Amino acid sequence: MGDAFTLLFTWQNLALLFVGTSLGIVVGAIPGLTASMLIALTLPLTFHMEPVGAVTLLIGEYVGGISGGLITAILLRMPGTPASIVTTFDGYPMARDNRAERALALGILASVVGGIISWVFLAGMSPALARFALQFGPWEYFTLVLMALVMLAALAHSSMVKGLLAAVLGMAFALPGIDSSTGSDRLTFDQDVLLSGFGLLPVLIGAFAISQILRDAAAPVSKERPALPKSRLPVYWSDAKVHGLNMLRSSVIGTWIGLLPGIGANIAALMAYTTAKQVSREPERFGTGYEPGVVAGECANNASIGGALIPLITMGIPGSVTEAILIGALTIHNLQPGPLLFQNAPEIAYGIIAAYLVANIIMLVLMWGAVKYIARVAQIPRAGLLGPILIFCVVGSYAINGSFVDVWVMIAFGIIGLGLEAARVPLGPFVIGFVLSPIAEEQLRASLMMSDGNFWEILQRPYALLFLALAVLTLFWPAFLARIRDRQGALKNERA
Amino acid sequence: MANLRGQNREMAADLILSGLVAFAAAVLLYGAASLPPPRFDPLGSAALPRALGVLMLIFSAIIAVRALTRRKLPDDDEGWVVPNEEEPRAASPVRGLLIFVALVAYVAALDFARAPFVPATTVMMAVSGLVLHRVDWRTGLLFGAIGLGLALGLSYVFTHFLYVDLR
Repeated sequence: MGDAFTLLFTWQNLALLFVGTSLGIVVGAIPGLTASMLIALTLPLTFHMEPVGAVTLLIGEYVGGISGGLITAILLRMPGTPASIVTTFDGYPMARDNRAERALALGILASVVGGIISWVFLAGMSPALARFALQFGPWEYFTLVLMALVMLAALAHSSMVKGLLAAVLGMAFALPGIDSSTGSDRLTFDQDVLLSGFGLLPVLIGAFAISQILRDAAAPVSKERPALPKSRLPVYWSDAKVHGLNMLRSSVIGTWIGLLPGIGANIAALMAYTTAKQVSREPERFGTGYEPGVVAGECANNASIGGALIPLITMGIPGSVTEAILIGALTIHNLQPGPLLFQNAPEIAYGIIAAYLVANIIMLVLMWGAVKYIARVAQIPRAGLLGPILIFCVVGSYAINGSFVDVWVMIAFGIIGLGLEAARVPLGPFVIGFVLSPIAEEQLRASLMMSDGNFWEILQRPYALLFLALAVLTLFWPAFLARIRDRQGALKNERA
Repeated sequence: MANLRGQNREMAADLILSGLVAFAAAVLLYGAASLPPPRFDPLGSAALPRALGVLMLIFSAIIAVRALTRRKLPDDDEGWVVPNEEEPRAASPVRGLLIFVALVAYVAALDFARAPFVPATTVMMAVSGLVLHRVDWRTGLLFGAIGLGLALGLSYVFTHFLYVDLR
């Protein structure tokens, strides 16, 4: 770990981390723009960088992107990112009550504390978990990927069927190209352009950035302007006593929710908020501009990043779209996320952990010092943002292979993304299905080759069975819960 | 009334989705049918496309059935479907469409007409400013100037540092 910090503390890497965190905060503060969009757009720029530099830039963007959302959530009641929705509940009433500076101060402080506490888990658990994951064979990996996909699709969104459909569609779009096992073409329909399949970056940029830009272009223009903070951000030593326990509890909740694939920072924030409300002596004050509400949400959403990074670096399993893009980034640099990352490229595995901590500290300094100026970014007219982002999308997609085919693929996936969102099919499982499909297929084929085609060998693999059981449980748990609720309702009616 | 209209719109969207997914599944199964049988491993390259195709057909059928029955039974419990949060209504789909047309025209100009990057980007930015901000010559000029600066900057960075020729 010490070596990772030494490696990180070169002026180039620190500069990249600073740039990444700044960009992330600015993008996070602009409603409609997300950290995943930023990371997808900057990924082509990292091709020529050293892997450590590339990873630090992207981690900075991730941390900044989630944290920046609190600014407009508090000042405008427009969460810059979905992770900050909960912050609007109490942050905006505080701002309307002339306590914007206090809300911002607590939000920034809570974000940093959440980040640091989840970093402790990340640094403490990851190496041990990676060592444990070294016992996994292809069966375990296949079932782990299956479990992650099912959880992502089933838990994260409103309709399970549509979530699962999204994952299956994503997997299907990853199929065309050369089959890595046989070396022959698959589903190319005699089209040469399909031989290399659909590239990850054009798919990501199209599904997230292009569809978002087209939606934003059509959306109504908000005339509301943020009330910029006027004085210094007030924070007191007594805050540690007043909010300390809430910060610790919310950070732990955020970290553990982040660990689970597909739940996401917004649900982590909501769960921490609900828990804080449940244990509070004044639950009725939540939602009226109550400080613990801001603290709980911001601690948890930032802590969920650290939690989500744990399965990413130890097992190569993405917890959200942003992690899926980070996996893509590592793959582009010929690095395979998973337990072997700690053996084959320890500087990257520990570099991610170190960069996450430093990014949180940079975020604190930047947001504390420049919150007034960052809030002004929300005042930039939409036309001034969408046009340049569109150009970046085109240039970024073209730069991957120097080919316009990728740009057309990006546009096509922009339309697909727009269509899926219009039909309320979530994009997260779609993209993660696209990323995980080759891994799942490769592991299943390797498993069956090792067991001479005997699928029942899975019964001799306890961890694989556990993952499979969890996947099945995830699928049927909501129906089971609904049935229990129905039965309880019927019993109540009978008694009445 | 508004509720019923929203429900009809959702039903139509679900039916269209179901049809498109069924079509995609058919394409997948058709493509998988022409793949060779397993040679080097027990699974072969056609297994996953076939499995995904079948799953897509099942999901498509479920979505279609749910869409059709939802209208007849408006109070029916939707199983696992939880009501979605309210989505902001699009103010101007035409603006979105115009931006899309501009994007396609821009890429087509760069790809097929071999238009030089800097002038094409300048024009694209001016058009996006006119569509998204206001239609007047000042806006056109301002966004054109921003586009020119952006294009020159990108061209310089990509050519000199990333070794990508933007032309």
